[in-house]
Formats: sequence, C-alpha cells, structure tokens
Amino acid sequence: MKKHITKRMISEKTMRIVYYVLLVCVSFVFLEPIFRIISKTFMTPEDVIDPVVDWVPRKLSLNNLKVAVKVLNLRQTLTNSIVFSGILAAAETFCAAITGFALSRYEFAGKRFWYVMILLCFIVPTTVLMIPRLMMFVTVQESIKFTLIGTPIPQVLMAVFGQGVNSTILILIFQNFFNLIPKSLDEAAMIDGAGPFRVFMHIGIRLSLSTVLVVFLFAFVWNWNETYVTGTLLRSGMQLLPSKLSLFDSEFEGVVSSTGSAFKLNEAYKMAATFISIAPLLLLYSFVQRKFIEGIENTGITGE
Amino acid sequence: MKRKMKTWKQRQNRSGYLFMLPWIIGFAVFTAFPFAATIYLSFTNVSSTILGFEISWTGLSNYITAFFKNVEFVPALGGYLKMAIPYTFVVVVVSFIIAYVLEHIVKLKGFFRTIYFLPVIIMSGPVMSKILDTKVSDMELLTGHTYSDIFIIQMIASYSRSAASLVTDVFTQLSTILWFTGIPIVLFINGLQKINPSLYEAAKIDSANGWQILWKITLPIIRPTALIITVFTIVQLGMFDINPVHSLIVTYMGNTSGGLGFAATYAWIYTLVVLVLMGIAFLIFRERKTKVKHY
Repeated sequence: MKKHITKRMISEKTMRIVYYVLLVCVSFVFLEPIFRIISKTFMTPEDVIDPVVDWVPRKLSLNNLKVAVKVLNLRQTLTNSIVFSGILAAAETFCAAITGFALSRYEFAGKRFWYVMILLCFIVPTTVLMIPRLMMFVTVQESIKFTLIGTPIPQVLMAVFGQGVNSTILILIFQNFFNLIPKSLDEAAMIDGAGPFRVFMHIGIRLSLSTVLVVFLFAFVWNWNETYVTGTLLRSGMQLLPSKLSLFDSEFEGVVSSTGSAFKLNEAYKMAATFISIAPLLLLYSFVQRKFIEGIENTGITGE
Repeated sequence: MKRKMKTWKQRQNRSGYLFMLPWIIGFAVFTAFPFAATIYLSFTNVSSTILGFEISWTGLSNYITAFFKNVEFVPALGGYLKMAIPYTFVVVVVSFIIAYVLEHIVKLKGFFRTIYFLPVIIMSGPVMSKILDTKVSDMELLTGHTYSDIFIIQMIASYSRSAASLVTDVFTQLSTILWFTGIPIVLFINGLQKINPSLYEAAKIDSANGWQILWKITLPIIRPTALIITVFTIVQLGMFDINPVHSLIVTYMGNTSGGLGFAATYAWIYTLVVLVLMGIAFLIFRERKTKVKHY
C-alpha cells in the first residue's frame, strides 16, 4: 500500500516537471521574437554585424530608435493611430453594449434568429464582404459629392452599426455580463417609472463599467492591429503606425541598398520600427492583462 | 380619450428591437447585402467609369477563367487548403494541450497565462511578417539545415513525397502556427473550468488514472468547445498574408478598372471552400450517438 502511494507521488512529480518544461519551451516561441526585437533595437551598428554578439548588445545605442522614429514619422502616426483606434473602439463598444443588452434583457420575437445571425457574422470571411462594401461607399461618395474613401467615416459607420472588427465577441461579452445582473433590479426601476433607456444607463452601464473598459480595450487593440479593411477603405488617407510599418521596407530600400552587412543594418532599423509599433500595446497589456484574460473568459462563446 | 395599455409582450418586443435596431441596420447594409451582392457580382464584369460602376452580366465566364484559363487561382486555392487543414489541426491540438497543462499546474499559473495571451495583443499582419522575416533568415544563417534533412522526414518521403513536404512545412512553420493559439487557449481553459469536478472524483473513486480520465471525461465534454475553436481558427488563418487566396483577392481589388467582378468570383469560391471546411469540422465534432451496451 505504502509502496503504491510513493509510486503515485513520484509519477505525479514527473508529470509536473514535464508540464513546466513544456510550458517553458512553448512560451519561448512567443518570447523569443519579442526579445530579439528588443535586443536588436538597442544594438550599435558594430554589434549588429559582429557575429559574436548574439543577444546582449555591448553598448546600448538609441540610434536605431532615432532612425525608426524619423522614418515612421512617429509623432504624427502615433497620435493618428490612437485617435483612429480610439474612435472606432468607442463606436464598437457602444453598439455591442446596446445589442448585448437587448439580447440579455428582452424576449422579443425572432430573438433566436438574430442571435444566430450575430454568430454567423463572425464566420463569414471579411474578404467576401469587402468588394460590395467598397463599391457601395464609392457610389455613395459619387452621389453626395463628399469624400468617404480615404477618411475614417466608412469604418466608423460600420463600427457604430455593429459590423466592426470581431464585433460578435464584444456583443457576447456584454450579453454574458448583463445576464449576471438580476432582473429584479430592472423591475424595481421600471416600477419607479424608468423607461428602457434609463434602465440601460443606470442599471446596465453603471454596474458594468469594468466590462465597458474591457470591451473598449479589446476593440482598441483589434482595431489597432487590423490592416485589411483599413487598407481598403482608409488607404493612405491617414498615416497609421501598423500600415506605416508595412511600408517601412520599401521606404527604407531607397536609403540603403540591402546586401551583406547593410542588410543586417537595415534589419536592426526594422526591428526598432517593429518595437515602436508594438510598444504601446505591450504597455497597455502590462497594465490591464488580468482584465483582458478575464474578459475573454467571460464571453461564454464556448456555449453553456 | 383612453390610452390603450400595451401588453407585456408588446413592450418586450418594442424595447428589444429598439436596442437591436443599430445592429440590425448594420447587418442588413454592411453584411447581408454585400454577401448577396458578391454572389451576384461574381457573375459579372465590373468596370469603373466616371459615372460610377458599370456592371455587365457575363454568366459563368469568370468561373471558367478562374478554374481553366488563369493559372494562379487553382494553385492558390490548393495552397490555402494545404495550409489551412494541417495548421488548424495543429492549432487545435496544441492549444488544447497547453490549456490542459495550464489548468493542471499550481505555481506560476498567472505568469504563463500572461505569456500565452501575448499573441492576441500584438498579432497583426505587418508585425507578423517582420517577426517571420527574422525567423527565416536566422534559421538559414545559423544552421544551414532544413527539416527535410532529418532522417524521419526522409523515411516519410520515401513513401510519399507530398506527405513529407506537408510535415516539413508544418515543422518549419511551427513557430508561426503557434502564434494563432492565443484565443483558442483561453477558450479551452474556459471550457475545462466548466467541467463539473465531481465527475473527476467519481472517476478517481472508480480507480481511473489520469490518462483514462482525459479520454473518457475531458475530451468528450470539451468537444463543442473544440468545434468553436476550429471554426475560429479557420477564420483567423484566412485573414493573413500567409493565405495565398487572400493576397490574390487583395491584388485584384486594387485593380478597380476591371478586377472587381473577378475578385468577387475568387472571394465567393473561397468563401464556399471555407464553409465546406467548417462543415467538415462540424461533422467531425458533432455529437455521436453512443450505443449503450447491455450485459
């Protein structure tokens, strides 16, 4: 009997070691590129060429960063990106909140149908929708003589009406959170004469401010990273950080020819540029990472 | 004048649709209509003039061109399938394993979760391509080896060359594939946490070991979650430049003088393929009726 127990404990211990080894190994996949980016960012040109220097630069240099800041036109693109993603995120959050509220609070005819439609929106590839969307905006633009393509207006419209990036997930987060608020609160408010909007504002939103924040942050990050819809509708109307990053190569090719050691030098600049463009997101994540993870766990997207 | 009181049901309907209205409008204008329009456009030729778009019906000619005349589409579609099927499989399996392990450790749980959630935050097309650039060049510079030199791969190659190339592909791309596991891991953890712990206790009392519990309890219960994750992964994989069909469609969309109808054809065929893939996933993960054995 005793022997049995010790054997079991040993096997549990080995399992635990295996688990940790596996986790460390796989997390390397995510951390290595980030560390690589950071280390290259601060290398001097000599260190970049030197094959002996692999991870840790001999001397910290801010030169790469300076060049990248200049090429990216950072001050402009950063504010643009923040404003752009912020507006879209706010619009998306608003629509997700009211839609989630409707799904959680009211028993209206055809609710199941709309619920399925919301889920279907998530499955349909955006690629298939973009061609008519583009044509629609161009046609409207021609008929009202007001430029739409090249401005954020089309995307803001889409976000306000609930068709932004991953809107489905945001709606589900809200719906699940509203489900947790007891309905008796609504009923009490309604007896006191509150209309549906007051119930929504004073009970729904008041109690879910942290959810609002989580949804906003998700929408912000996803809009920040989105390049396909932005590339189709906004194009170069506004200089954004991620799209500027994808142009970085071509803009830089002209400056230095890329062969041999010059290629490696360019790479250091590119890494610095990449570092700059993910730094805001990493910063955000480091402050609210727990909220992020809990937020996605509460979607209930996995089905009850 | 007597105002008619509304019934409870009417009020529910009115308020519900009031709140749903923006989404329904958006759905009709920006999703349902474009979806139908793409199907229509795929049978037409769209040319943009000063007056706007000129749409002319061409019947099946776009499809014929796509499949039989153009040399780019069929290989791109094949490339997509060759990528999507093994990648989705790897993403689902790996993210399940990691979620399972993350649920079974005690120390450093929060730390590892923070790391594994990173891809969700920083993954975007341009950043990914930068990261991959360094990866490939590093690999070649450092070792000069490719995976096809490995003994086992060569063994597979002697049976079937395409199978071997598929396996090498998965291994070379493994670090890319793993970047897609962000949200799947969180969803799997969520699914695992919902399993009633008393089921595990009952199994342990019946002297089931961990392996048996995994196959007899955890996996059957987690199956619906796995289906959702599979669908999610297929959607995700389609949105990046590693999907050759996607980049092809984007190229044609840039050509506004005459490429839009053609792009619609490509997009529509691609969507059908994606839906078929999802259908297959659905068949794999559907509830199977288990036969009850009578003794």
